[in-house]
Amino acid sequence: MREEYALSSLRVKFIRGEEVKYISHLDMMKVFERAIRRSKLPIAYSQGFNPHPAMVFGLPLSVGVTSESEYADFEFTCDIDPQEFSQKLNQNLPEGIRISLSNKKQTKVNIMASIVVADYEILVATAEKQEHGHIKSVLDSIMEKPEILIEKESKRGRKEVDIRPMIFELKTKFSKELGSDNNFESENGFQYIENPFLTNYINKHLDVPGFSSYNVENVFSISLKISAGSKSNLKPDLLISAFNLLSDLQLKLVKVHRTGLYIEKEMRILDPLSNEALS
Amino acid sequence: MKFIINDEVLLGVEKPSRYVGGEWNSVKKDIEKVKIRYAFCFPDVYEVGMSHLGMKILYHLLNSREDTYCERVFVPWVDMEAKMREQNIPLFALETQSQVKDFDFLGFTLQYEMCYTNIINALDLARIPLLSNERTKDHPFVCAGGPCAYNAEPLADFIDFFVLGEGEEVIQEILDVFLIWKEEDGTRDQFLSRIAQIEGVYVPAFYDVEYNQDGTVNKVVPKDEAFPKKIRKRIINDLDNTFFPDKIVVPFSDIVHDRIMLELFRGCTRGCRFCQAGFIYRPVRERTPQKLVELAKKLEENTGYEEISLTSLSTSDYTGLKELTDDLINEMEPRKVNLSLPSLRVDSFSLDLMQKAQKVRKGGLTFAPEAGTQRLRDVINKGVTEEDLIISVSTAFNGGWSGVKLYFMIGLPTETNEDVEGIADLGDKVVATYKAVPKENRGKGLSVTISTSSFVPKPFTPFQWAPQDTMQMLREKQKLLKVKIKNKSISYNWHDSELSFLEAIFARGDRRLGKVLVKAWQKGCKFDGWGEHFNYKVWMEAFEECDVDPHFYANRERTIDEVFPWDHIDIGVTKNHLIKEYQKAVRGELTSNCRTSCTGCGAGVFEGGVCVE
Repeated sequence: MREEYALSSLRVKFIRGEEVKYISHLDMMKVFERAIRRSKLPIAYSQGFNPHPAMVFGLPLSVGVTSESEYADFEFTCDIDPQEFSQKLNQNLPEGIRISLSNKKQTKVNIMASIVVADYEILVATAEKQEHGHIKSVLDSIMEKPEILIEKESKRGRKEVDIRPMIFELKTKFSKELGSDNNFESENGFQYIENPFLTNYINKHLDVPGFSSYNVENVFSISLKISAGSKSNLKPDLLISAFNLLSDLQLKLVKVHRTGLYIEKEMRILDPLSNEALS
Repeated sequence: MKFIINDEVLLGVEKPSRYVGGEWNSVKKDIEKVKIRYAFCFPDVYEVGMSHLGMKILYHLLNSREDTYCERVFVPWVDMEAKMREQNIPLFALETQSQVKDFDFLGFTLQYEMCYTNIINALDLARIPLLSNERTKDHPFVCAGGPCAYNAEPLADFIDFFVLGEGEEVIQEILDVFLIWKEEDGTRDQFLSRIAQIEGVYVPAFYDVEYNQDGTVNKVVPKDEAFPKKIRKRIINDLDNTFFPDKIVVPFSDIVHDRIMLELFRGCTRGCRFCQAGFIYRPVRERTPQKLVELAKKLEENTGYEEISLTSLSTSDYTGLKELTDDLINEMEPRKVNLSLPSLRVDSFSLDLMQKAQKVRKGGLTFAPEAGTQRLRDVINKGVTEEDLIISVSTAFNGGWSGVKLYFMIGLPTETNEDVEGIADLGDKVVATYKAVPKENRGKGLSVTISTSSFVPKPFTPFQWAPQDTMQMLREKQKLLKVKIKNKSISYNWHDSELSFLEAIFARGDRRLGKVLVKAWQKGCKFDGWGEHFNYKVWMEAFEECDVDPHFYANRERTIDEVFPWDHIDIGVTKNHLIKEYQKAVRGELTSNCRTSCTGCGAGVFEGGVCVE
């Protein structure tokens, strides 16, 4: 086999929608590999016995999680136009995966190594109907603690970690109508949700009667900015179990959607597609 | 009915992506705009069913019709089934997640006998009455095809009609009749009567079975003169000009055979007497290398797969193999596509090919002598000598290979302890061959694996009269072989004889087994082909409770004049030919390959392939 050298590289941002949220991280890479083969884009391959396409993905998503903000780096054997790349690849990707942006990348540092922060918007439900004020004050009081210790399972076994420094922002949003005389059924009560991905999910799923084990009226949203990446990583499900340990809210995680990922470069937090990040 | 398979269900099961569809090349259609909805069910899990070439062909063929939407259905794994039953979710199709009950057809492919309980379970999950005669116009027509359909009598109560042989043409004829019938708003029986007159269609309810006092079949007769006395299978004579998909569904998750499959030919010229496929798929018909290369290129472009495998019953017998592999390697190497070559006869040509085509580690090569002595290999008409095998392994060892797997069957007709011990001797000779190869040529660390399966006599083979060894006999032979294998470089493993016993019962079963199937399923049997779910004890309880003797089916030697439950099915090859072959087998006489000389087996009636070349 001919040896190949990477001559140019691109960083792309892509969407992982409802249609493909059950695919594992490994299978997702396979999907991209085959889409690239179909599109006949000049991807570079690793050398050796079993050549692999030169691509690196950002932070793996858990099965069931959607995202509008995934990133991957690709290397090519010749110069390639980012727009052409997006267009050709999008024609060959299954429904639910879409390249939204792409740009040339000069830096040798790959996306996986540099991610530090992630944004999420999640939907949670309380087991019982609760006053919004109460939920908010319980969560606020937890956030005011100097440390939030929780057992985390790692490859080396269980260990106690303080997740408080991993939480940078936490905002709750509730339906205005809840608890008032307004008829919940007339409108779906989720007008406070602005993210189109979550709205889409709600329209498709939460409207179906008897859909789930939780009461749809008890659902509210939390926006999060938390640590992510190889050095320090917090997942929304772990955060929710911490809240459940420290309160009697009995929160149930309904839906997790990632809205942003950020890298660190020279002590600054950057959008992975910004000029500073790519140079 | 509106239902949604929600996140809570899917996040609680293994490999959820296999239940949601949406894969590349899966077909999307508007269900309001089609006239026929066809649910194609492989009665096993997604990973197994998606690896099956026949399903790929028929799925894309049916969807090439504008008036038809074919969707895929697989049996949920036990964790998913539990959730479906708990949450009242019926069996659904992957493409639109519609319930199977809403379709016009539910078609099963029968690849092995041990899937029968899964079919019962699938019908139950789909909320379709198990018994054919309890279905109404609200239910789909339930049909089945595939190799087990040639004797699917055990399923006669549950399946509305069987399709015998290759489906590409006959399925279209059936759908065309369906369109007219639907327009006329006829009864179910009217539809079935009409298609019963299409060659290759077998409606079991239209045939009566009469039994003798000793439990054997007296005769099978059509209830009406309009139905054929014998139902002949269908074949496709011109493979180059018949439909073969140029795109196939690319799954999201790993499946058993995750690659492009190129079908070189159908049938086999060898006539091994134990092999059902060798008889039911006759005559041999090939695709041309040009056509195959053209298909390979399109499939590679449309799927992005990185591997192509050549499939057939005996790839070394393909007449255009050298031309095909040369062209494929030329086309595919620049695209970094591997060629995988299963079931090749090992000689210098194939070893050279393997080195060129695959970047395989020189690990294991597989040989299937099937029997331990020349006498027994002649009985089964294997046509391989010890010398052939030793030359092959010697070539392989000299080429740097150091691992070989040797496959055998135990319990073959006329087998003696000497034949069993011959397996161990052959193993020793392979080890000696390795030692005779200069150290600088051979790979390090010899490993010889001997595997034995238990022989299952199958209908439509020369051994359809033969008894299966009892489990006791099979176990003693396994024990004997274990003691005889002394060399440390040889490891021995064997298949469980309980499963082979059950296979033998159903392979040559009749309609009276239907109630045993339902009983076993009611007692929890399903996924019988999966070791962890197979429950022999429960199966035996089911036989006892139904007052059916399993040994009557598995271990009984049939007389030559016995009427078989499948005698009204015509595969081309005549019963007379099979009788002659059985008698030659017992005498240890060989029968020639179709390409050497015609033996007049009867497959010539199809006027195709090797019979007219």
